[in-house]
Amino acid sequence: MRPERPVEAYHFEALGTSCSLFGLGVSQTELLKGEFWVRALGARVTRFSERSELSMLNRADGAWVDISAEMEALLREALLAYELSAGLVNVAVLPSLLAIGYTRPLAEGATTATMVTALPAPALPDVLSVRNKRARLERGCGVDLGGIAKGWMADRLAAQLGSDALANIGGDLRAVGEGPRGDGWPVGLGGATVMLRDQGAATSSVRRRKWGELHHLIDPRTGLPSRSGLEEVSVVAATGCEAEVVAKTALLLGPGLATAYCAAHSQAWWLST
Amino acid sequence: MRTFLLKAGATALTLGTTLASAVYVTAHLKNPSAPLQPAVLTSQQGVDGLTITPGVRQGDVQPVTSTYAS
Repeated sequence: MRPERPVEAYHFEALGTSCSLFGLGVSQTELLKGEFWVRALGARVTRFSERSELSMLNRADGAWVDISAEMEALLREALLAYELSAGLVNVAVLPSLLAIGYTRPLAEGATTATMVTALPAPALPDVLSVRNKRARLERGCGVDLGGIAKGWMADRLAAQLGSDALANIGGDLRAVGEGPRGDGWPVGLGGATVMLRDQGAATSSVRRRKWGELHHLIDPRTGLPSRSGLEEVSVVAATGCEAEVVAKTALLLGPGLATAYCAAHSQAWWLST
Repeated sequence: MRTFLLKAGATALTLGTTLASAVYVTAHLKNPSAPLQPAVLTSQQGVDGLTITPGVRQGDVQPVTSTYAS
């Protein structure tokens, strides 16, 4: 193991959550550029701004809309996540999120839950079509890219920051390179420290972003907040985005199936009931 | 004569290949009690807890960050 090298660190709030960037051999300016990149992209993929690219797609009423390369990549990632999770990670749960009162950033508080539109989500490939720089969403459907976007951003940002860096975007993180001591980047996961090298990690939890009896993690099979019996799942996988998908899928599967699913799709996992 | 040699050669090749395959398969029997892969390094009893496969190393240093976020 080599002597510990100084880590350049930078922390900021964006996307309604905490973000941290770390790098070896990178300057504060490069980390600051990373923050700008997160904020700029976040403004385009948020559902909380009427002028965002995502809101325009959600409002298109079944028409094809022009989208950026980043939005196209994110929507394709969402379709992949749907496949990887056998439909459990479904970004088309926006009507349910609105129905339970998650209509604005939770820092501003949830609005009254009506539950009227909390219906099982449609199969994503049936309602979302993505072509070269264009996308179409079936009339009456809406997508929320909150979870997918954080892991996707962490993966890209870590790669942008160089060959030895870590990007943590709201708990979805990706580490590249050998880390400060050459044995990986030390990351807290389930009360332990794991050393990550070219790996991603994420936690899916119903203990945060909750209000009253409700929380943000929708089970697309019911359209209602998950009551699987699992409250928190953390996993290590090949990328941050994959870790996010596996953690959410395992949480929605519940204690009976989560272990087998994690064993097949992740390299380390923490389950909490 | 040439036809005979070709037929004999093909037959010998077929028999030789069959014999070699049989020897190889017999020498490489599947062990039904072999451990499952990947092996699990640490695992808690029950559902709750942390499980780590050989692809991840546990550390004893202070983490720089965690997967928990506000």
